[in-house]
Amino acid sequence: MENTMKERHLDVLKLEHVSKNFGGVVAADDICIEINPGEIFGLIGPNGAGKTTILNIIMGIYDADKGNIYLGGTDITKLPTYKRARMGIARTFQHPRLLTRCDILTNIQMGIDLTKRTQKQNVDESELRELLEAANLQDVDLSLSVGQLSYGQQKLLEIVRAVLSHPYIMLVDEPAAGLNHREMDYIVALFNIAVKKGIAVLLIEHAMDLVMGICDRITVLNFGKQIMTGTPDEVQNNDEVIAAYLGGSANAED
Amino acid sequence: MMKGTRKGNLITGRYMITLTCITIAGCFLPLVLSSYMLRVMNIALISYMCVLSVYVLLGMCGQNSFAQAGFWGVGAYITANCLLKLNLGPIVSMIIAIAGTALFAFVLGFAFFRLKQYYFTFATIGLMTIFNGLFMNWKEVTGGALGISGIPPFAIFSFEFSNETSKFFLIIFCAFVVTFLMKILFNSSLGRQFMAIRDNELAAGCMGINPLLTKSKAFAIGGALCGLGGALYAYLSGYLSFQVFTYNQSTMYLIMIMLGGTINPIGALIGTMIISLLQEFVRPLQNYMQLIYGVGIMLLMIVQPEGILGGIKALYGKYNERKTLRRSEA
Ligand SMILES: Nc1ncnc2c1ncn2[C@@H]1O[C@H](COP(=O)(O)OP(=O)(O)OP(=O)(O)O)[C@@H](O)[C@H]1O
Ligand SMILES: [Mg+2]
Repeated sequence: MENTMKERHLDVLKLEHVSKNFGGVVAADDICIEINPGEIFGLIGPNGAGKTTILNIIMGIYDADKGNIYLGGTDITKLPTYKRARMGIARTFQHPRLLTRCDILTNIQMGIDLTKRTQKQNVDESELRELLEAANLQDVDLSLSVGQLSYGQQKLLEIVRAVLSHPYIMLVDEPAAGLNHREMDYIVALFNIAVKKGIAVLLIEHAMDLVMGICDRITVLNFGKQIMTGTPDEVQNNDEVIAAYLGGSANAED
Repeated sequence: MMKGTRKGNLITGRYMITLTCITIAGCFLPLVLSSYMLRVMNIALISYMCVLSVYVLLGMCGQNSFAQAGFWGVGAYITANCLLKLNLGPIVSMIIAIAGTALFAFVLGFAFFRLKQYYFTFATIGLMTIFNGLFMNWKEVTGGALGISGIPPFAIFSFEFSNETSKFFLIIFCAFVVTFLMKILFNSSLGRQFMAIRDNELAAGCMGINPLLTKSKAFAIGGALCGLGGALYAYLSGYLSFQVFTYNQSTMYLIMIMLGGTINPIGALIGTMIISLLQEFVRPLQNYMQLIYGVGIMLLMIVQPEGILGGIKALYGKYNERKTLRRSEA
């Protein structure tokens, strides 16, 4: 299936004029995004710009007020969250949401379960090992409870689990927040593995060096509006972006 | 091999060894117990199956139900009707009771789980009230206030489980099988789906789990366990009265599992046994029973909210920590 998608040059994910209001607050205003297979696509903007809201709309946690969402050409706008996940969208959360009362292995198994269910194939141990090594979790005892991992390790584990479910696209919400520089490198390593597998990544992130370093293209949001979409260079040199974002709250945050 | 990936063999693992030991030890009980105490034990083991339904629902899936004694009753009345009205065999009647109660619970779950968390819990209180009303008033099926009497004992071919000891072996065998199945469920993908819903329903949905369907499945498995308990109860007592299948009994199941701990079936067993025996030994203090429970539950929630098993696990963890500390010092 992955191959047919590439052959037809379809976008993995496409948002068409998606809008969302929260009682007067415009969290997403006429958003149009197209993401290609294996692409790392950045979504940036100041706090409250509507980034997480867009992820939630893509995942079906919120319904869009207007607009359509397509996954590999199929309209998924009206589907419930679990169906979208089975069709190949994985996501991680701004604050990790693992099975907190289970051990690490059970959490990993969740991702593998999804692959078994949707693609009728198993995940071999070498693949798991490669991912755990990339996340520097290879020496951790997998029978430990998730709570015994550090915050950063939990976030890495969430990404490992997402990759193991073999999605078409991963939605990753601020993976680097609260992580040190070494752990950020592990995230990059995990993304590289994902991309090699043809998985696209939609990345929300405030750490600009990370975003500018690994993204193929970036969309900048402000107050729910899509200011521009372009390569990291184009984004960094765009006056409107500098005014709205890079010159504003971003400095205060970095 | 990565550390901790080996989950241990199901048959030779610690769980199975513990379960087998407890069962074998239990098999000696008829030698030491009076027939009255053996009856108490039989009822306790039947309660244990209903408490296991709470273990699946609450312990694994995070859903709290006050209707389990109602499903227990459904299982018992199905058995009685299959035997007496439809003249079916005892084994077939038992299977119909299990499957019927499970199916019934599944359908109800599909309707009720549209409500989330405590809204669902409140709805099950209403459900329990309706169950009890039906048991009391639907004369054709439940015998109304008079109940149903003359239920024959369980039998395989010509062997009848008619005395207390043979009934005990039947019930402890069922308890053994069911507890074993719990471990299989725990290690299965369905078990993981339950636990994902318990720990975070939103994230579970993002991992392809249909919350409504999955919770209904947990409700159905709980129904099957209560159905089995109900069938065994019908065979054990030979007489069914609506006064047994009450809201209070449902609450008792919850108290039992909270006392024992929700982390595994052994917790359910410990809790059930303690409460069941307590009920016997403090029978002279009957009037103070409610007070004892009330204070006991409050103390439990303050001192050891994870139940007895949770307490043991915490102690064991501390012991291990100290051991590794000592080792690293040496
Ligand atoms: N469930 C909700 N109900 C009401 N308003 C909401 C809801 N979720 C988000 N909002 C509002 O929508 C706007 C966008 O929020 P969102 O969480 O998408 O921002 P964000 O770009 O992810 O910000 P951050 O960088 O802080 O994570 C904010 O004004 C927020 O208050
Ligand atoms: Mg956000």
